[in-house]
Amino acid sequence: MINAVLVFNNAGQPRLTKFYTQLDTSVQQRLISEIFTLVANRPNSACNFLPLPPLLASSSKSSTPTTPHNDTPSLVTYRHYATLYFIIISTSTESPLALLDLIQVFVQALDGLFENVCELDLIFNFETLHATLGELIVGGVVVETQLDKVVEGVKAQGRVAKRPVNEGKGGLSLAGFGRGDGVWAGR
Amino acid sequence: MFEKSLYDLIRGLRTHKGTEKEYIADSIKECRKEIRTNDMDLKSTALMKLTYLEMFGHDMSWASFNVLEVMSSPKYRHKRTAYLAAVQSFRRDTEVLMLAENQLKKDVTSPTPTVISLPLGAIPHVINPSMANSLLSDLLPRLTHSHPSIRKKTVGTLYRLALVYPETLRPAWPKIKERLQDVNEDPSVTAAIVNVVCELGWRRPQDFLPLAPRLFDLLVEGNNNWMAIKLIKLFATLTPLEPRLIKKLLPPLTKIIRETSAMSLLYECINGIIQGGILEAVEGTADGEEVAKLCVGKLRGMMVIEGDANLKYVALLAFEKIVRSHPHLVSQQQDVILECIDDPDISIRMRALDLVVGMVNSENLTAIIGRLMRQLRNAPIASSADTPSNDRGRLTGVTPYAESDDSDAEESLRPHEQRSNHAPPLPEDYRINVIRRTLEMCSRDTYANITDFEWYIDVLIQLVRVTPSTKSTSAVDYDEDTEHTDDIGRSIGRELQNVAVRVKSVRSEAVDAAQSLVLVDRRDQMFPSSGNGGQGVLEYAGWLVGEYSNYLSSPEGIMNSLMHPLSLQLSSRTLAVYLQAVPKVFASMSGNEQISWTPERKSLMTLLMARIIHFLEPLSSHPSLEVQERSVEYLELMRLAAEAASGTAPGNENEGFTDPPLLLTQAIPALFSGAELNPVAPGAQRKVPMPEDLDLDTPINPNLRMLLANAELESFQTDEDDVYAAYSEPIASYTSNNESAPAISASERLDAPNKEPTSYQNAVEEEYLDPDIIARRKAERRERNKDDPFYIDPEGDRGSGTVTPLGQIVREGNVGNVDSDIDNIPIMDLDLANRGGDEIMRVRSPRSPRRSAARRVEIIGDETLGPGDMDSAREDIVVPKLDRGKGKKSLLDVDSSGLASLSLNDDGDVPGRKMTQLDIERKEQEEAEMKKALLEVERLRLEMQRASERLEARGEQTVVRKKKKKARKVEVEDDSADAGAGNGIMEADNEGEASSPAKKKKKKKVKPADGQGAPEDKDKDKEEGEVDTPKKKKKKKRRVVLDDQVPSVQ
Repeated sequence: MINAVLVFNNAGQPRLTKFYTQLDTSVQQRLISEIFTLVANRPNSACNFLPLPPLLASSSKSSTPTTPHNDTPSLVTYRHYATLYFIIISTSTESPLALLDLIQVFVQALDGLFENVCELDLIFNFETLHATLGELIVGGVVVETQLDKVVEGVKAQGRVAKRPVNEGKGGLSLAGFGRGDGVWAGR
Repeated sequence: MFEKSLYDLIRGLRTHKGTEKEYIADSIKECRKEIRTNDMDLKSTALMKLTYLEMFGHDMSWASFNVLEVMSSPKYRHKRTAYLAAVQSFRRDTEVLMLAENQLKKDVTSPTPTVISLPLGAIPHVINPSMANSLLSDLLPRLTHSHPSIRKKTVGTLYRLALVYPETLRPAWPKIKERLQDVNEDPSVTAAIVNVVCELGWRRPQDFLPLAPRLFDLLVEGNNNWMAIKLIKLFATLTPLEPRLIKKLLPPLTKIIRETSAMSLLYECINGIIQGGILEAVEGTADGEEVAKLCVGKLRGMMVIEGDANLKYVALLAFEKIVRSHPHLVSQQQDVILECIDDPDISIRMRALDLVVGMVNSENLTAIIGRLMRQLRNAPIASSADTPSNDRGRLTGVTPYAESDDSDAEESLRPHEQRSNHAPPLPEDYRINVIRRTLEMCSRDTYANITDFEWYIDVLIQLVRVTPSTKSTSAVDYDEDTEHTDDIGRSIGRELQNVAVRVKSVRSEAVDAAQSLVLVDRRDQMFPSSGNGGQGVLEYAGWLVGEYSNYLSSPEGIMNSLMHPLSLQLSSRTLAVYLQAVPKVFASMSGNEQISWTPERKSLMTLLMARIIHFLEPLSSHPSLEVQERSVEYLELMRLAAEAASGTAPGNENEGFTDPPLLLTQAIPALFSGAELNPVAPGAQRKVPMPEDLDLDTPINPNLRMLLANAELESFQTDEDDVYAAYSEPIASYTSNNESAPAISASERLDAPNKEPTSYQNAVEEEYLDPDIIARRKAERRERNKDDPFYIDPEGDRGSGTVTPLGQIVREGNVGNVDSDIDNIPIMDLDLANRGGDEIMRVRSPRSPRRSAARRVEIIGDETLGPGDMDSAREDIVVPKLDRGKGKKSLLDVDSSGLASLSLNDDGDVPGRKMTQLDIERKEQEEAEMKKALLEVERLRLEMQRASERLEARGEQTVVRKKKKKARKVEVEDDSADAGAGNGIMEADNEGEASSPAKKKKKKKVKPADGQGAPEDKDKDKEEGEVDTPKKKKKKKRRVVLDDQVPSVQ
């Protein structure tokens, strides 16, 4: 099952944290920063699987290799899109390659909802971000993988707001905000 | 009014660069105020802001009650915010959870699908067993909700319910199964159920065997790759239980492998075939060969052709799973796997490292170790300054910084993968892991894979130089040393010690190595230049130079190093070992009775003892008790010896031989020599049988009290004299030399395989061993082989490298040079006396064409009595202990062990469900409880009857609700009690919830599966059921009695 889904940006600032186990806030933050440290040092060519961060590794070492399955999270999968890292922590019952695809579906669904999604969308609509994830995963179990159904499910919950583009243009002194739409369209 | 929206908050964060902390503190203060108002919109906005800040680590647990308030708002928007806040902020110890229960129940039964979704998503995050018990009845009907999206989410929610409260599955599983069997069910729901079944499956696979036909159909017909992956994973756990499945599965699996375009599915197919034991099952048949070839071929393809790092990684994962069962299949791919050890990606390296540990043998050991050593040597040791400075959490508190680069944030997420391109430095834990694995590979099965121990010693020395530094540097704190028992330097030292003790033929080399490690003036050379890496090895090196001091080439130098001021800075553990080594080395220096006790000798010894005393004196007040004790002991001994030395008059040069003091030549050496030290298996001591005539109860001397009293009265002076007398007496019975010890009975003779590709190894060695080690090896090799006519000296100046001395002579002879050097004829150089005849025979025997290092190496095994389990023994001695974290649950661990004890397949004949004594007791207890509960129910029923007569419908409703809770509890207990009840009953039982009691009773007796009370109008039926519960309970009681008899009848 899936133990946690995390999204943070290139500077390690969290954009989405979802733990399917109850964890102390401070421990959550430590875990995020540990994973960020791991992920930030990886070169382009590296694979999308991380070694376990120290917080998780300590206990998994003791598990004997003879038990192929257990409840311990053993897989940290990530994908990097532009400014954001998407991370899934899961147990060995999940397929590593399928998880990569799941992240892809997640991002595509967000893209479908926001039309050309970017980090700003997610910052300002973190509720929608959670809702999208809620359509994909319930309690650590993947319940939907069809892109259109995910989008449909989120839309059923209400209008998806766009990022406050005009506010930026409207003279509010927000650094770097006043850029044209053309920039966002550029891939 | 001036309230901030979430937008305002985020924008504010972005504008308050540098002062975020104050801004956030202000914002939270505002939120506190806003959340206390009665305006629901304001409350909800405040909650939203708090949830946002929670993401950055700002506590919002204080707002949990407000979360509930907003949750109860009728507006969907508010509810959504509150549910999100609950999911993100509620923890196990959140007190308001009890209060949330009712709200959750209410929303689960809401008519609006979007509202139902909210608790469905939130329940998994907040659930606890008691809540699960009460929410179950409301969740179950959602499995048949008209919206597929509700159904699939309910499945996920029920799974988490089952994890905390396994009894959930008794009523829920039949319903889920029904959904799964339904061919017309929405594919999304089926897929979700398959996911849950896959999670449940590995705990109790036998319960899911009956589903195999349906699952098989889904695998073949359903064209959902996601689901297929899960199905294959599930089948991999089923096939060991049902071998017939293998035959059925093989065709579709091979078909998928051949045809699918999805790499993930292809991979999982191979993985399933591996994990499900299908490879073993079809082994030997033509089919099996083909399948194995197909799988391994595809895996190889993933590693080579695709060049995709992810595929490489997962292929290594798959190989790791078969390396134990099918080592030959993996070793065929050795070339590509070994490449991965040097992969730039650390993740891949780690996998490859794990894998090679499993596939190492005596042939590839040197090559593998060579690769690893080269890695360690060529990468610089990371100092603490190299750790990434952007480690947010560690440096500062967590604060959401203002965005420094909004342009980045606006970038579309679609353009993939834009990353920096610099290679990561070799992380410390990886470095340690490599060293640890190296030691593990080499020492496996008591060094079964090592053919050349001199090489191994050199590897160990080289490892010390590449060891990363450890955190603790202080010498004083003895307590924390126990925490560093797995310090990697000590692991290396342990190996060195182990080799020296076990392999006598290289003992002198091992001691040489230890000597070079201990010598202070060589320390810069032997250890990493920065940090204190590898210092742990000194503990063992110190022991070696002491124990085998007769092998030392320069005991004086060692003595100087042991007593060097730098030694005082070592850890107390090492210092204690050093203290033990000092008198041992001293004994070997002073113990020679062949040297006449001349004035020079006397002053030399006196000086030496004075130095030792000078070294020991300050240590007798060392904070570590071990160090203190040893130094006090040896200090006294040395003073005694010094006294003896000064008391013995030296003889003159012309007087001939003068005996040195016996204390120096006999007594002190006798303290340390004696029986040979042998490795003893950890359990051996326990196996020593107790002698029958051993009587521990009778006092040895009946006058013990008197003796003790007398001892106290004795003066110190006489005491000392006694000791002196004891030391002065000659002791003849001990063997003075370790080498003359008799052969050990438990020794294990290992014939080293005659394989050492010398030239190949030379080439590799230069890349991973430091120049000085290589130079020494070369010199040694030359020395060893100088009499060997077949040895080609690479640096010899006898013409071109390929010309042997004999060939050279022949050639020269051909030229006509009559004055050819007869001495060059190799036969003349052979000195048979100096070499073991056995060895020569081996060198020349046709069976071992490769002559170098074809020596027989004797490795002493552990001494033990009777059959000992070598595995645990070896582990204890060689492998560093890893089980420190054992017992500690992982952070994100979701414990599903509760599920293991719950059978879903409640047929009486399931062997796993045989009742234990515990079960029976529990059952009795439950029955007693149920009797009590039934009385209560009966009482309530009467009460309700009276109430219904008196009150209107509305009043009745409340009474029923209250009662229902109690009744529910009874029902569940009842279910758990009749463990022997059949599956059919389970189904009937749950349908019964929606049917009338009369029908129920009938069903129980007949056990029909066709469901006479088809649940059509749920809500109405449920209400009916609620009202009827008390009666039902009564019936149930009867059923329990009936069921009790069923197993005995069958």
